[in-house]
Amino acid sequence: MSANSGAVGGAGTGFGLGDGDATWSWAARERRRPIIQGAARRTLGRRRLKGKLVQGLCVLCAAIGIAPLVALVYYTAQRGLAGLSLGFLTNAPVPEGISGGGISTAISGSGEIVGLALVMAIPVGLMAALFLHERRGHLAGAIRFGADLLTGVPSIVIGIFAYALLVRPLHHFSNLAAAFALAVLMLPIMIRADEEAMRTVAVDLWEAGVALGARRSRVARSVVLRGALPGLVTGNLLAISRGVGETAPLLFTVAAPTFAMTLLIYTDGTQPFPSDQQTAWATALVLLLFVLVLSGLARLIAWHLTRRAR
Amino acid sequence: MTSIAGAPSAVSLKAALRRRHARRGGRSYAVLRWVAAGLFVAILLGLVVSVAIDSSQALAHSGIGFLWSGTWNPAANEYGAGILVVGTVVTTFVAMVIVVPVGLGMAAFLAELAPRWLAGPLSTAIDLLAAVPSIVVGLWALLVLSPLFANYVEPFFKAVPMLEWFFHGPAYGPSILLASVVLAVMTLPTVVALSRTALKGVALQDREAAMALGATHWQVVREVVFPGARSGIAAALTLAVGRALGESIAVAMVIGNSPAVPHSLIAPGATLGSAIVNQFAEAAPGIGTSSVIALAAVLLVLTLAVNAGGQALLRGIRPGRAAKAAT
Repeated sequence: MSANSGAVGGAGTGFGLGDGDATWSWAARERRRPIIQGAARRTLGRRRLKGKLVQGLCVLCAAIGIAPLVALVYYTAQRGLAGLSLGFLTNAPVPEGISGGGISTAISGSGEIVGLALVMAIPVGLMAALFLHERRGHLAGAIRFGADLLTGVPSIVIGIFAYALLVRPLHHFSNLAAAFALAVLMLPIMIRADEEAMRTVAVDLWEAGVALGARRSRVARSVVLRGALPGLVTGNLLAISRGVGETAPLLFTVAAPTFAMTLLIYTDGTQPFPSDQQTAWATALVLLLFVLVLSGLARLIAWHLTRRAR
Repeated sequence: MTSIAGAPSAVSLKAALRRRHARRGGRSYAVLRWVAAGLFVAILLGLVVSVAIDSSQALAHSGIGFLWSGTWNPAANEYGAGILVVGTVVTTFVAMVIVVPVGLGMAAFLAELAPRWLAGPLSTAIDLLAAVPSIVVGLWALLVLSPLFANYVEPFFKAVPMLEWFFHGPAYGPSILLASVVLAVMTLPTVVALSRTALKGVALQDREAAMALGATHWQVVREVVFPGARSGIAAALTLAVGRALGESIAVAMVIGNSPAVPHSLIAPGATLGSAIVNQFAEAAPGIGTSSVIALAAVLLVLTLAVNAGGQALLRGIRPGRAAKAAT
């Protein structure tokens, strides 16, 4: 027993109640009772003080932990708002070092890349999740494990993969390659989230559908997918919000930094010119707002879902 | 159909029905599911095989010494991942030194101390921090934190007498320390969210037993709750390490990118991820590109190993607890 917990039982005051204790008896126990209680009472103040100190430390930790988020949002909003205007969103970018211009190409480029990635990832993710949902055994387990591992693969490695698969053989950078990289990145998150959502649909409903003679595809569509819809939307929104903010996979796949918001932030943010840094801040604010709205929306749907279930 | 040849028995009717169902859409649905699952497996294997093939040229050129050789000098055609591996491990380690106490303290606060009206919004805020794109964290660290570090934080650490071995040399701002702080900010949500879940999962009876023995709240947390949540916390930290090892773009923005032996935490350095970001565009075709991809291979192996460990820990929790509950 450590020194700390010792105070509870009163160890260290020179007595024990173990099995090997030859002097154990009810009388001895009653004699010891005041000693134990006295020890516990004497140390209580110290123990409580220690608890208060640690509580203070925990509050401090929570404050330290939340500080970066507050600072990050504050600075991005403060510096980004200065450069944000309607023109900023709708005008084309200007060369580095020159002030003015907008990020219209970056917004449309990001939209195109993410849209393409979703077209690739969502159907595959749904079907793979249905596969896992209706199947038990080693293969399903292996795919699940593979999905968890792929979630942890650094995005830059996935970017290299997309480069080797779609950029080098075709000899040019393309939004398609970038979309493929993002799709690979989002796919494992989607599969796991989709399957998790499908699991909330009662098995009885699925069985009832099959017992009525409906085809598996029909049951999947009308029972599983419909029942799991809010969960599916939540999971996929979270996956999208991760994909939208990715930069590293786009480095090796997109033709120019002005074709994606995250790349634009990277190149402009690392320039020494204040006008470029301004552009980077404003773009970061647009991106941050978009991502926060997406994940806020996902959370709202999830919250509605749990409330309805209750 | 077999039922036409003889008298229609119940068995053959059932078989015929099943076949009809299989023909009408049932089969294409099954095929689609198999295709999706197969596609996913192909992507997984393709990723590993592609990176392995592309890095083989570099390994043939530099030999197995690529893994620990300390020189990265494209001009002299000398490539080695050694310093970058050291840089990656050092930044991740320092990040963990920061994030473990803060993250666990915060998780304990959320799970044990905070009143409900505070714990809910704080948890949501931490989840939102997880959603902030790494590039935005990097931008903030480069343009806001970096000047602060150069003017205040790094000189402060230099002035502390016992720490000068860790913190010496000129204070630029971009440094291993700043990169570690960025990694700490980015891994904090992982640590807090997973540890909090683990702490909340400790059985109420265990806490009550300790309270009945006269333990104070902190003694209960220390002697019962944290040991009970040990494997969940270990999994959280392992996954956070995996994430810190693999982060590239935010680190590349603030680490200063100098592939040299890190002699001080406020000196610039480089990690595997940051080196890939910076070297890829200017790498010479052939050996150069292949060497950069070999860095990605090293990074892939590192993160796969760490994440496999983390997942094994996470998976180990559930059966273990179920078994304990059953007895």
